[in-house]
Amino acid sequence: MNQRSFKGYPLLLVILLITGVFAFTMPGKFLSPENLASMASQLPEFGFLALAMMLAMITGGIDLSVVAVANLSGVAAAMVLTSERLAGAMSLGSLIALAVFGALLVAGLCGLINGLLITRLNVPAILATLGSQWLFLGLAVVITKGHSVSGLPDAFAYVGNGNYRGVPVSFLALLAVAGLTALLLTRTRLGVRMYRVGGSPRVARFSGINNRRVLMATYIMAALLAGLSSLIMISRANSMRPGYGDAYLLQAILVVVLGGTDPAGGSGSVLGLLMAIVILQVSQSGLNILSFSPFFKKFTWGLALLVVMVLNHLIARRAANRIKT
Amino acid sequence: MNFRQMLKRNEFYIFLLVILFSIAVTLKNPVFVSPGNLLSLLKTSSGSAVFAVGILIVLISGGFDVSSTSIAICAQYLTVNLIMHRGWDHIAVAFLVAALLGACMGAVNAVFVAFFRLPTLIVTLGTASLFHGALLEFVGTKAVNLGDLPQCFKTFGLVSLWPKGPSALFGILCLVLAVSWAILRHTMTGRGIYAIGGDIEAARNSGFRVKRIQFFIYCYVGLLAGIAGIMHLCLIRYANPNYLVGTEMAIIAAVVLGGARITGGTGTLGGTMLGMALIVIVQKNLVLLGLSSYWEQFFVGAVIIIGVALTYGDLGSAFGRLHRRES
Repeated sequence: MNQRSFKGYPLLLVILLITGVFAFTMPGKFLSPENLASMASQLPEFGFLALAMMLAMITGGIDLSVVAVANLSGVAAAMVLTSERLAGAMSLGSLIALAVFGALLVAGLCGLINGLLITRLNVPAILATLGSQWLFLGLAVVITKGHSVSGLPDAFAYVGNGNYRGVPVSFLALLAVAGLTALLLTRTRLGVRMYRVGGSPRVARFSGINNRRVLMATYIMAALLAGLSSLIMISRANSMRPGYGDAYLLQAILVVVLGGTDPAGGSGSVLGLLMAIVILQVSQSGLNILSFSPFFKKFTWGLALLVVMVLNHLIARRAANRIKT
Repeated sequence: MNFRQMLKRNEFYIFLLVILFSIAVTLKNPVFVSPGNLLSLLKTSSGSAVFAVGILIVLISGGFDVSSTSIAICAQYLTVNLIMHRGWDHIAVAFLVAALLGACMGAVNAVFVAFFRLPTLIVTLGTASLFHGALLEFVGTKAVNLGDLPQCFKTFGLVSLWPKGPSALFGILCLVLAVSWAILRHTMTGRGIYAIGGDIEAARNSGFRVKRIQFFIYCYVGLLAGIAGIMHLCLIRYANPNYLVGTEMAIIAAVVLGGARITGGTGTLGGTMLGMALIVIVQKNLVLLGLSSYWEQFFVGAVIIIGVALTYGDLGSAFGRLHRRES
């Protein structure tokens, strides 16, 4: 399977179609600068989580703990930012730097735990992250006693709410990180090995790849992306509450599959994922303006996931038949 | 079975953990072993245990089902509304209708899994969202409180099998266990479920009708979910269409803890019940051990991780052996 060839034309068509329908039914409202900006600012915190999920799924695994990791590292960062003792001891700039470092450190440790469970104890990724999800979320609840950590310094709000020439900073950050991830996946040895491990762990091992090291790196990177997401979460909400964003888990899996990543591993591209994220955001925002209920959105996500999977299956079967004949 | 064989089984360690934890709780608070407390523990966990039986069967077949709680709440809420409109105020009708609705929703899962051969996790994630979204959007979001609830639901939860005996809900669990045990052990379909989980191609080649068995699995799991939905309603006597959804991971964790392998082909009802017992005892008794309830999720996570580590990697060799294993 060649992961480099671009197979996203159907997705692009869907984007144009949905955008066209909404723009046509709501002239002047849907494509207004305000709505575009609001869509661009809602998207990043979820986008990072989806990138994390995609990395795990490319290697044939899954990471159910991404939201929990974001919760725990968000709590860590929020506690640094609201600590009066630290605020008295250092400048605002170094406090923010410390918070960012803290969030990424906590996230990295979470990823390390996942990686150890998967590579050293041979626990299937889905079970390892199912368990660690509770562990991380539980830890966040224990630390905060279930309350939210709030009252962050105003300067930190720039991360989630700031604009650069009208474009949200967090959106630019997502684009940059997505670009780096794409480079990693297609242009580095680690990235190519991730596809190989996902395609067939056995073949990968026989061709001299250290599967354990690749998987370890994958789950640490996934957790770090969740850590980045947490920084945007706490900045946008000006607080962190354990349990925030639990609906993102299903959406992340949905978007990754929608973006053409094979849940069995071995394929998937950042470009496809980004397009799927845009589809989700555009349809969500459009349904919002048309004042559909959140339940209807839940219904359409489920439907979309099933339809896409069935279509992928039918297309794959047709392709297989064509090769045979 | 000799002692050495017993040491190799997951169930044995889970059993030890259950005993150890129970002793610890009893030392802190002797009320734990009083008949009243044990009976109430049985009553409150019977519904989850019925879910666990369904999840176990899917896991044995090599699948992964996260839609059963959504199916349960849909079946429950639809049944309550139907009974309120029609006035068929009888608990047997309620169970029958809910089981039927559950089986129909399970059949939807089965279509995607058996005919399109899609990954079960993704399918059930999709249908869970589809069913629950449809319920809230098209049926309603209003909870039915105790006052408006049909009489049969109000009283069934209070019935016990015999005076001062276990609750009727526990009786239903026993019935479900007996039927499921008979299916898994003594029917060709049951053997087929294990065979599919072990190796789906081998099962197909040896003449099992894989599609038909998969259809049976997902319908049966839906049916059990429908029954569990009514049990949950009888227990709390309040029908809220937002309840239950989100508890599926804890149930899956309990089943996995009980020794069912996610790769399929193994798993027993006894182990599942032990895993369930461990999770329930940990969840309900941390407070008795002097830890605040904030620790609940953390402990459940720790128990799951220890459980899966015991099942998959031999923990001993991971620490003891320095040379790399071929894996």
